[in-house]
Amino acid sequence: MATQSMDNGTANTLNKDHNSLPSLGMELVAHMGDITRDRIQDMALENARNNLTAIQNGESLKALRNIDLGKGDKAIIIAAGPSLRRKNVAEQLLSTNYDGAIIATESSMLYCLRQGIIPDLVVTVDPHPKRIVRWFGDPDLTQADLKADDYFERQDLDTSFSEALRTNDEILELLNKYGPQMRIAVSSSSANTVVTRAHQSAMQVYWWNPMYDDMDQPNSVTQTLLTENGLPCVNAGGNVGSAAWMMANAVLNKQRIAVTGMDLGYYADTPYKNTQYYHEAVALVGEDRLDEIYMPIYNPHLEQWFYTDPAYMWYRECLLQMTAHATCETYNCTEGGTFFGDNIHFIPLSEFLAA
Amino acid sequence: MSNLLKGNFNTEKTVVDTNTSEESLEQRFEKEALKKLGGSIAFVAKKEVHWGDNDDSKKD
Repeated sequence: MATQSMDNGTANTLNKDHNSLPSLGMELVAHMGDITRDRIQDMALENARNNLTAIQNGESLKALRNIDLGKGDKAIIIAAGPSLRRKNVAEQLLSTNYDGAIIATESSMLYCLRQGIIPDLVVTVDPHPKRIVRWFGDPDLTQADLKADDYFERQDLDTSFSEALRTNDEILELLNKYGPQMRIAVSSSSANTVVTRAHQSAMQVYWWNPMYDDMDQPNSVTQTLLTENGLPCVNAGGNVGSAAWMMANAVLNKQRIAVTGMDLGYYADTPYKNTQYYHEAVALVGEDRLDEIYMPIYNPHLEQWFYTDPAYMWYRECLLQMTAHATCETYNCTEGGTFFGDNIHFIPLSEFLAA
Repeated sequence: MSNLLKGNFNTEKTVVDTNTSEESLEQRFEKEALKKLGGSIAFVAKKEVHWGDNDDSKKD
């Protein structure tokens, strides 16, 4: 066991042995599939029913199979983790003649557009009615909304969102300007607020269903959804970053896929209060026992400590399973975070760009 | 509570109390916190894309 002193309320004991990760944290990871279903499934399916009319104003994801997004067999996923800025991903991309596909999560759209990068494809999947639309610019955002939900303000995902109202105006303007040049894969689970913004900004919308269960099993919810709206069903892997990877792999058939900004965790100096589920974690175990929920991870490629929470740990496990099952090669060019494993080439972005 | 409230009639069917232990405030608090902890969307093991038509080139 290695011990590292940390301040700012972050983990104070870090284990290289995964077996000794905090048991409560790992217990939550084991139940994260069920917890997620309980949290989002009803909302997502209701959104899908509400989107039946909106689906007519767009194409099926099937249409993307016939479009060459980016040249060659490379794709780069841009997710919104803290390493995106720390490693100057945009600068690295723009300094080369990379001409493969660029797929962005909706959460990294602002970063991309600010840096002069128009992604070939944007992906959105989370059904949350108020949070996700913030990445698109929320025309109805109020000070009261900001007071009611400090999710963006606390986190390291995009620090500019802490200057919420000004940033909201900026992304509204950027998306209205560049939307007509952008394609977006919109999940049927998306909230009306998100769908409306995608259409308002004249993005080219490609619809799909996220898988909720095994479609080969009787009474599959996903099979019922397919019957209702006829859209392709994609395993989204728990979150939008994994969904973006799946788009590159199984929809665009890219063979070399790099992920950036895919930290799936936090830098060791990030205070717990700046993590995505801080309030929920405190509600669950109290401030004094947070070390039982947050899990320290030693990244052997970087010889550096990070830590993660049960949701990110679950995303990590899902994506590791997905990459193990795929025929493409996956390169983690995040240069930070917790996502590494047997099937992952953990290399700097510059190396992927040069190859 | 159940010791204080007594019925003054007999029910036709036997009533089974499924709520064997009252949920404490702490448990309810934890349950509410858990509801907000989950991921963004589901994950289905060993699946990729189901195109939903006859030209399923990649159905797992």
